[in-house]
Amino acid sequence: MTWLGISLVLIVMGGVSAAALSRRPALGEMLFRLLFGAGCLTGAALALAVLAGAAVPDASLPAAAPFGAWVFGLDSLSAVFLLAILSVGAACAFYGLTYLAHQRGHRAIGAAHLLLALLVTALALAVAARAAVPFLIAWEGMAVAAYFLVVLEHERPEVRRAGMIYVVATHVGTLTLFALFASWAAGTGDLSFAGLAAHPPFSTGRTGMLLVLALVAFGLKAGAVPFHFWLPEAHAAAPAHVSALMSGIVIKMGVYGLMRVVVLFGPPPPWWGWVVLALGACSGVLGVVWALAQHDIKRLLAFHSVENIGIILLGIGAGALGMAYGHPVIAVLGFAGAALHTFNHALFKSLLFLGAGSVIHATGTRDVDRLGGLARRMPITAAAFLIGAAAIVGLPPLNGFVSEWVVYQALLRGASTGDAMQVAGLAAAALALIGALALACFVKVVGALFLGTARDSVADAAREPARGMLRPQVGLAVACVVIGLSPIAVVPPALRVGSLVAGLPSGAAGGGLQIDAAAGPATVFALALAVGLLAAWTLRGAFGRRQRRLEAATWGCGYARPSPRMAYTASSFAAPLLGAFRSVAGVRPDHTPTTFATHVIDPVLDRAILPAWHGVRTAATRLRPIQRGGLSQYLLYVVAAVVTVLLYLLVAGRHP
Amino acid sequence: MTPEGLVALGIVGVTAPLVPGIAVKTKSLLTGRRGAPVLQLYYDLWKLIRKGTVYSRTTTWVFRAGPVVVLASLIVAALFLPLDGRGAPVAFAGDVVAFAGLVALGRFALVLAGLDTGSSFEGMGASREVTIASFAEPTLFLCFIALVLATGDLSLSGMLGTPLAAAWPRAGASLSLVGISLFVLLLAENSRVPVDDPATHLELTMIHEVIVLDHSGPDLALILYGSALKLTLFGVLVVSVFVPRAGLSGPAAVAVLLAGLAVVAVAVGVVESVMARLRLTRVPQLLVGAAALALFGIVLQVH
Repeated sequence: MTWLGISLVLIVMGGVSAAALSRRPALGEMLFRLLFGAGCLTGAALALAVLAGAAVPDASLPAAAPFGAWVFGLDSLSAVFLLAILSVGAACAFYGLTYLAHQRGHRAIGAAHLLLALLVTALALAVAARAAVPFLIAWEGMAVAAYFLVVLEHERPEVRRAGMIYVVATHVGTLTLFALFASWAAGTGDLSFAGLAAHPPFSTGRTGMLLVLALVAFGLKAGAVPFHFWLPEAHAAAPAHVSALMSGIVIKMGVYGLMRVVVLFGPPPPWWGWVVLALGACSGVLGVVWALAQHDIKRLLAFHSVENIGIILLGIGAGALGMAYGHPVIAVLGFAGAALHTFNHALFKSLLFLGAGSVIHATGTRDVDRLGGLARRMPITAAAFLIGAAAIVGLPPLNGFVSEWVVYQALLRGASTGDAMQVAGLAAAALALIGALALACFVKVVGALFLGTARDSVADAAREPARGMLRPQVGLAVACVVIGLSPIAVVPPALRVGSLVAGLPSGAAGGGLQIDAAAGPATVFALALAVGLLAAWTLRGAFGRRQRRLEAATWGCGYARPSPRMAYTASSFAAPLLGAFRSVAGVRPDHTPTTFATHVIDPVLDRAILPAWHGVRTAATRLRPIQRGGLSQYLLYVVAAVVTVLLYLLVAGRHP
Repeated sequence: MTPEGLVALGIVGVTAPLVPGIAVKTKSLLTGRRGAPVLQLYYDLWKLIRKGTVYSRTTTWVFRAGPVVVLASLIVAALFLPLDGRGAPVAFAGDVVAFAGLVALGRFALVLAGLDTGSSFEGMGASREVTIASFAEPTLFLCFIALVLATGDLSLSGMLGTPLAAAWPRAGASLSLVGISLFVLLLAENSRVPVDDPATHLELTMIHEVIVLDHSGPDLALILYGSALKLTLFGVLVVSVFVPRAGLSGPAAVAVLLAGLAVVAVAVGVVESVMARLRLTRVPQLLVGAAALALFGIVLQVH
């Protein structure tokens, strides 16, 4: 744990030096790079050691702290999240140095770097906390740091609105967490996680209340439907590297929370598993349908986070059902798939957000319908984005495939159990629907941004960003490929995490269970596919050199004067699918005889939460007359209150 | 990886262009025409590989990679199918996911190559292709789930191999429904009537043909062969569900498979002769219908 402490201190010092030396940005940023990088490396090495099986003893804060001991520790569940936090955190922080550099004149960017360092520190502390109070403090620090980063460009009204929605949503979640921990520890008063885990058996009602509170609190953070409403707003408003960190990591804390609750609570009742599975299927399908409808590249990517949280929840749901119905192998596979997909999604989603940031940086627009043809102007960004897109769709041989394959295994094994769990197998079909729709959506994005021709002149001056922004993208893309090619290296640690969450004795992967997750043959398959693709490409190239090659205009079916305006837009591309899902898509099509456009509304935010909020405000206006500001009136209220209390004691209260 | 399995794969690979040939011939004969020779696709492929290529000035490496990825992913996908009725060259738990993933990878590459030309026709075809695939993929997995229920095995080698033969007496009705559902999927995934018409001449009504409008020469040859191979792979799925061949010797099993593929090709031709193409908005309904069949196949086995 000392190493984690050193790592976090280095990270914070890096942030402080960037902020303190804002007069000498070159020196400050060099120190930031050095300290932040060293801190992330230290912590990541520790996390890798824990994932490889090393045991780290817990550490308690020496001084007497309020509300019981402040304990910190690292098990494999914490380690997998810590690894994601530090690796993606470093990529985003380094990208941010270059991304924000051009705003140096009119914005305190040193403070932004410090906030990012604090956010990473708070995230790391939240996964390392082993008691409710430090956990809640880290949780709140994370929410506040993220809020200030979201509203960095606060001069735009939509950013302020997004920040407000985010801060309200996250605090509702935090309050729910207070309720969760308070009612969990109500009997014993011991707020350490060890104390929570040693809880006496709860009554059915108490169990239900605790598990629903956990779902609401962590579902809000994760952005699962119907708690997703804050997510697209906040992620679209933040600067690109902050969006990457929020979509890649911050929302995953909800996933961490759910898995930690399962660890501490023990086998949940079956209904909870079914609820999580259903939430996962809804989040997955609705998230990707809503993503299809978006024109704003960052909102689109944000909705894909909702979709991927859905996939992760399918894994957690399968795991919880496996525990509830007594199928340990399915439980381990479900949780392992969820953990692995969490990690993988952190990599490719931050990669995609950074790529989108480069595109926005180069063209100044986020509207996919205006862009196109950027692959020729920004080849490296395009290639990295394409890898990220193929990975998020779950195509072999990339990392998204590996984790979805583990989740599929859990669901399909559920189908062959022969008890109530069989029904969970149907979720595999939902996962297939999610995958196919995600493919449609990312074909749309890649096509609209990078391929074909631009429909607008904004893309004319676009060029590849500086190396400081390219390197993090290339690094993340390489990580996606490497994990995709080596299931044998990543599946066993994931199984170890899965067996920890499933409550099996830790140690060997599977905790003594023989789980044949087929990682070996899958590795052979992934490598064979990669070699096959490369060989085919090389052969085609060698063959192509011997033949005649001509260049011509794209075949316009006989039309002699095609113009870029005739290129198919992203909206038109998505229209048939949105038509098929129109009852849930939240899209208002708007077409005249010569134009076609779609307008997007968020069904939960625009149809439920904002109307409810307006109702509350109208009701509050009715109460306003009682507060006019006159002193005599307030004194009257005080007297009335005292008299009421006295009357109450006189009538009802024999007891003080 | 057995040598017999690879030989079987080679035989199926060589005969793949015959499958669309037989379908076209059947349609011609049934509609009172003589039709193109059954071997026409071989002639076309031979002609195309000797030609040069024309690339649109709009395109990038994505366009050139498209045909290569399509074919490579389908060949790797073929490695998962138990062609001799017992086991595939490659098999592992959950390889059904890899099979579906490879089909999706081919589609991803093909559709992106189409979009790379910047043509609105190809964009339209790409949009339709991914729309139809969005309904086809869950249906494919519902069929897989039904097969998992019947055989208790998570790999294609098990689902379509020895355990399937043992499951037929128990779950015959369910497996028949799955087979029919897979046949509808075959029509949809391979752009046959009633989903798409491979013989149409109007770009606006095409789906698959319009995506590959700008491919020429060897690139087009790769795509044409890839389409034939994909049709064959889905044909193998259909035949394997209906005719478990685990009891036969290796050569006999492959011979039965080839005969089965011919029957599937004739069936495709018959469907193309007796019915018109569906309106595009009706296609999802057809696929949801196929999904419902597979779902019935699942319900029949849940107890």
